[in-house]
Amino acid sequence: MPKAEDFLPLKTNWFHILLSLAAGEQHGYGIMQEVSERSGGKIRLWPATLYGSIKRLITAGLIEESDERPAPELDDARRRYYRLTRLGKRVLDAETERLEELVRIVQVKRAIESAR
Amino acid sequence: MRFAMRLYRALARAFPHEFKMIYGADLVQLGEDIVQDIAKEHGVSGLFRLVADLAIRVPIEYLSEMRRDLIYAVRSLAKSRGFAAVGIVSLGLGMGVAAVGVSESLNLILRDTPGARDADKLVMVPSVSYPYVERYRDQHDLFAGAAAFQASVPYNVSLGDRAGTKAERVFGHLVSPEYLSVLGVTPARGRVFSPDADKPGSAPVVFISDRFWREHMNSDPFAVGRTMRVNGQTAAIVGIGPKDFLGVMPVIPADIFVPTTAPASEAPELAGDVIHQREAKSFIALLRLGPGVTLKSAEAGLDTITRHLDEETLDPARHAKGRRVMLLPGGKILPIPRALYPMMFGFMVLLNGLIIAIVCMNLANMQLARATARRREVAIRLSVGASRFRLIRQLLTESVLLAVTGGAAGIVFAFWVASAFHKMKLPFGFPVNFDLTPDWRVMVVVFAIALAAGIGFGLAPALAATKTDLASTLKEGLAGQTLGHRRFGMRNLLMVGQVAGSLALLLIAGFMVLGFQKTNQIEIAFDPSTMYLLSLDPVRDGYSAEKATSLFDHLAEQFQRAPGVRQVALGQFAPFGPQGAVFTLTAPAGGGAPDQVVSGIAKNTVGPNYFAALSAPILDGREFDIRDQRMEVSKDRVLPVVINQTAARAFFGVGEPVGRRILDAAKSYEVIGVVKDLSAPLSQTAPGQGVNAVPVVYLPLTKADFAHPPANGMVVMVRFDRGVDVMEGVRKELAAIDPNLAVFDVHTLAGQVADTLAYLHLSEYSYVGIGAFGLVLAAIGLAGVTAYSVARRRKEIGIRMALGARGGQVLRLVMRESGSLVIAGSVLGLMAAVVLSRLMAAFSSLLGPAFQAGARDPRLLIGAPLLLAALAMLACYVPARRSTQVDPLRALREE
Repeated sequence: MPKAEDFLPLKTNWFHILLSLAAGEQHGYGIMQEVSERSGGKIRLWPATLYGSIKRLITAGLIEESDERPAPELDDARRRYYRLTRLGKRVLDAETERLEELVRIVQVKRAIESAR
Repeated sequence: MRFAMRLYRALARAFPHEFKMIYGADLVQLGEDIVQDIAKEHGVSGLFRLVADLAIRVPIEYLSEMRRDLIYAVRSLAKSRGFAAVGIVSLGLGMGVAAVGVSESLNLILRDTPGARDADKLVMVPSVSYPYVERYRDQHDLFAGAAAFQASVPYNVSLGDRAGTKAERVFGHLVSPEYLSVLGVTPARGRVFSPDADKPGSAPVVFISDRFWREHMNSDPFAVGRTMRVNGQTAAIVGIGPKDFLGVMPVIPADIFVPTTAPASEAPELAGDVIHQREAKSFIALLRLGPGVTLKSAEAGLDTITRHLDEETLDPARHAKGRRVMLLPGGKILPIPRALYPMMFGFMVLLNGLIIAIVCMNLANMQLARATARRREVAIRLSVGASRFRLIRQLLTESVLLAVTGGAAGIVFAFWVASAFHKMKLPFGFPVNFDLTPDWRVMVVVFAIALAAGIGFGLAPALAATKTDLASTLKEGLAGQTLGHRRFGMRNLLMVGQVAGSLALLLIAGFMVLGFQKTNQIEIAFDPSTMYLLSLDPVRDGYSAEKATSLFDHLAEQFQRAPGVRQVALGQFAPFGPQGAVFTLTAPAGGGAPDQVVSGIAKNTVGPNYFAALSAPILDGREFDIRDQRMEVSKDRVLPVVINQTAARAFFGVGEPVGRRILDAAKSYEVIGVVKDLSAPLSQTAPGQGVNAVPVVYLPLTKADFAHPPANGMVVMVRFDRGVDVMEGVRKELAAIDPNLAVFDVHTLAGQVADTLAYLHLSEYSYVGIGAFGLVLAAIGLAGVTAYSVARRRKEIGIRMALGARGGQVLRLVMRESGSLVIAGSVLGLMAAVVLSRLMAAFSSLLGPAFQAGARDPRLLIGAPLLLAALAMLACYVPARRSTQVDPLRALREE
């Protein structure tokens, strides 16, 4: 079982995809829209990049294809749905922690500077 | 927008199969979903990015697929290490051997002389006299320049200005002042010779090679203008050649260039005013073709001029018919007549093609066997949804990986062989610089062949393996398995071809080795470690002809004084060396009978007591004594000669030779003695003569020979009592005569023999290696095929055994099949070997006698096929024995 730390720092694309799946399973289009919305349209995962990343995330064991379907009225049967694996969740947590730590360091530095 | 979408779909289709299978539909769907938004939001640039994103990802996905294939291939080969090792080693050895062989001839044919400008325009005419070259130079419509030179000229060189420094022997060229400019040499420092600056009588000068400058002068930046002593005379260095420039024939390297304007004291080759003698054909003409002049027209033009000149000089050959002049390519590292190219190259390609063919057949066989063994694996992967294309690609990656690794191993091996060969001392009196460094063109071809073999022999089994009927393979069903097998199936043909090729290779190699051994034995009647050979060249140490003569007159007596010395003798060449048999002499019969003309005679010039020192029995008459050495030689004086047994038989049959006359074009000789044949390894013999029987005429050493010593100096043979280190005493005696006299090439006769044979041994080892290599490959191939056959017929064998067949019977059944392949292959191989060796014997005068001697050897003609057959049957037996262990119950249950 690979350790979560092995994947850090996480590639930006991977982080965004994992983040989009954190709330629940999602299909490719959904991931793309969510990333776009979250970043105010600044980050766009283009289709081939998106699926290329998904393929590698699956190979790495961070996400998997889901066979459960959402409520029938929301379901788009033609699409594949993806969800986080346990490893994926741990990696996302670890990456989030890492980023928090970074932010904390920046804040401490700022506090010191303003105190001078 | 519609166009963008069309492009998008096309690109989506271009993704690797695996990617498309899973994500293809989603990818297209997603594109369709967002294309409207993108166009609205970002306009054309957005659409462009949408498409560009795909265009970038396509190669990335392919690379990642290839990486996966490669990793899988490495793992799969690592799992069957034996298979991989055999494949790589056999391919590597085969390719390496072939690369070295072909490179050797290609280097000679293709490589331009380093340092020469427009090397294609250079041509040479061997054996011409200096005045002829001067006339060639006047043909401005044909030639842009002409020069004369002598190659492999030794110079005793000392760098100190004082006369007392010890001299070193350096080989170079004696060149007319135009030589360097005709070659187009740009000096690294200083200037080249020129007819304007270097005139007869002007201060002596030399031009040195870059190598000499580095190795002997420590790259002295002020070398130009310094003086050195050349053959005892002071000469100024005027220039240093460009890097790698070693004269016009770098195979026979030249480090120092002395102009023909030098005094004869500096260059004894110029004694007797040879540059004005039309008869003295001791020069090579180096010509640069004028613009637009072809080799053919130059040759024709030159022929006419030479014919004229021959008429004028009353040359004895002037009435001869046919071409007078043959132009050799001058800009290559060795002048080889163009007409010889096809033969030289053809021979190498033939032999090496055979090796490569065997290697490829072997690889094909191994791949086929392996593909068969993997049918189940392939079938399982196919049945769980792997695409056929993907599997083929996978299998192909494996075989290409194998082939490329093998090719790389071959290149490494080739370089290793080349460097090993480079360290060898070749049996010549002057340095020879044979460059076997693989040619890059050959390397490219080798790699291409390896790759092609990998693809070709990987693709066919991959196609076959993936085309299986899934159900039957998975069940190991009966389909097509007990229906017998095609007699002329691909696999059987390959096998027969491989056995035939290997046997042919083994036999040819064997012919060479046995022939070499027979033709090149050196028989010496005494312990060769009790004779020292040393060389002296007093003329090149600055001695006058008279002084040199008197030195040699008393040398033997002087050396005899050293403790332990038994005999001292002089010769122009070391004994038991190769004999260049090129002369034709006549024995007048008298009494109206036709004269006896004998061609292919070698001439040797030897001093008093030469044969006694070598313990060679004089069969009739006497050998030379000191009076022969001291006699006055004039043009019409009859010279005494000693001839060997073979020559006596050739000239006089059973008649009495002593007292009889022999003639050549200019001189008359009287036979004073007959000596037993001395071994003459590596000699060219005329057709029809027996092995090792070169007719030799021994001429006496006289004053004239001391004035014109050959390139290797004069050889002094010192025979001594065992257990005494005699060399110190000899050196002391020599120092008493003249402390500055350079002694060089000091070694024992045993060392001399070892050096001569080292070259032969190397060829022998390499031929034995090639033969053994073919044998091993054949065995591997056979084992593979038999194993495959047993695996394929498991079911049949199971049924037979269930019905009561015993192990021995089954074994016989399997062996019979392989045995017939071996026999068919052996017969073909034997025939091929005989035909090929005849061809080679006919083409090569040096290899001819070896082949003649080897090809009739029954040990080989019977032994080699037996050896191969035995090994082949063993190779079959091991896997065939597995057939007897087939458990009929299990074999049948597998259905």
